[in-house]
Amino acid sequence: MIEIHGLSFRYAGSDRDALQNIELTVPDGDFLGIIGPSGAGKTTLIHSVCGLVPHRRGGDFYGSVTVDGMDTVDAELTDLARVVGTVLQDVDSQMVAANVDDELRFGLENFGAPKDEIEERIVEALRAAGIEDLRDRVIGSLSGGQKQRVAIAAILALRPKILLLDEPTGELDPAVSEQIFRILREMNERFGMTVIVVEQKIMLLSSYAKTLAVLNDGQLEVAGPVREVLKESRRLEEIGVNCPRVVTLSRHIEDLTSGAIAATVEEAEAMVREVLR
Amino acid sequence: MTGFLDYVPGSSVLHRLDPLTKLVLSLCVCISAFLTDNLIFLLVLVGMDLLLGVLGGVFQKALRLLSGLLKLSVFLFLLQVLFVRSGAVLFEYGILKITLDGLFVGARLVLRLTAATLPLQLLLSVTQLSDLSGVLVQRLFVPYKYAFTLTTAIRFIPVFAAEMSGIMEAQTARGVEFDTKNPVKKIGLLLPLCAPLLISSVGKIHESAAAAELRGFTLRTRASQSKRYAFIPADYAFLVFSLLLIAAGILF
Repeated sequence: MIEIHGLSFRYAGSDRDALQNIELTVPDGDFLGIIGPSGAGKTTLIHSVCGLVPHRRGGDFYGSVTVDGMDTVDAELTDLARVVGTVLQDVDSQMVAANVDDELRFGLENFGAPKDEIEERIVEALRAAGIEDLRDRVIGSLSGGQKQRVAIAAILALRPKILLLDEPTGELDPAVSEQIFRILREMNERFGMTVIVVEQKIMLLSSYAKTLAVLNDGQLEVAGPVREVLKESRRLEEIGVNCPRVVTLSRHIEDLTSGAIAATVEEAEAMVREVLR
Repeated sequence: MTGFLDYVPGSSVLHRLDPLTKLVLSLCVCISAFLTDNLIFLLVLVGMDLLLGVLGGVFQKALRLLSGLLKLSVFLFLLQVLFVRSGAVLFEYGILKITLDGLFVGARLVLRLTAATLPLQLLLSVTQLSDLSGVLVQRLFVPYKYAFTLTTAIRFIPVFAAEMSGIMEAQTARGVEFDTKNPVKKIGLLLPLCAPLLISSVGKIHESAAAAELRGFTLRTRASQSKRYAFIPADYAFLVFSLLLIAAGILF
């Protein structure tokens, strides 16, 4: 469980708070999507959970973040990393090895995974990310989507309780983005991993996430189950978050559906069929 | 196309050698090239480098480096020929004076440069960086931090090269004449790019350090490495050969 209370953070040298008085609780097994315009503090929020803020990003930190019982300010970065696996935004600079196999091995070796388990965990992580065939490839020869999946696999091999991802589909096409989210859903549903993902593509979030948190200008605008948050679509559009078209459609026919909101295309189809009947 | 420092996968005998042997061999070739003053022996060393390239299946790459070195070699050769004033005079015109010594010194410098550069490239072509750092940590007791620094520096070369060409393309699109034929002008245009390149590089390195730390970098010790390295018979042969090279370098 992650509990964030009264969290405010201002980067050293900045004259405005990157985060202001954030209150957020993420229960175990949640699939939380964080969305908001750029500069809203999404990355800072992710970094506060994995401990980079305030351990490696200097600034004024107020409030508290507790991850799995550990206060992130008191705990060592590496102790947090045993529980929280983080995939940072820039996929290229995260790669520490020259080939895929070594990339996955790196974290396992560091955290002292038993030597006879390493092979099994590498195979398992590669399979989960759907990249068994890339194991012997040189990292430099991979495409953006492949690298992203290698980065995710390298974290999955560590079997973290909580998985954080900062815009994992930022530079990927829609089909590959869906693949990434299917991997995340699988981890969430089958292994009960808590997944927190920063994402700009609201359609992906509303189809895959369980809860949504909307950040704007360092503040938490709305947070809650996906459908509840989507009901606030007018407010979301005011702060520059476009809602999925199915939500807009639901809103246009809300007089006929008593205010129900469709989060996915399938739901919208069912709703329209119902109305036309 | 792979960069000239990239690893080329393969199963040749060079690929299968222990990384330590390959490191020793390539260092011995370099040392030998600096010990000797004999032009013929230097030529033999260059020939042997190329032969090793054939053995490792990376001959094409070695040739590419060789042709890349050609320009620099010609420049260095001319510089030596024009500036060495001692020895028998072969040609004299005004202050221009070409001597036998000059030709020798120039040829030696160029051959030495070539003979000492090729094995390092060869080493990186047939050895994975992680194996190289692995063996440094495991066998030579180099602290992991230093080994990691070394391999990261090599790994980041193409990343920075891409970054640089990205900045250059962006500026060309905005009318900066990077496609000029005048090399002096080109260097003048390149200098101001150092600042943005440095800034973006430092940013990348910070992110890279954070990512490594989030994956337990600070916990790593010599015992962390799960791969073990062992000598095969060919290793001993190549090690003896390396020693012979050093001896030959001293003798000739």
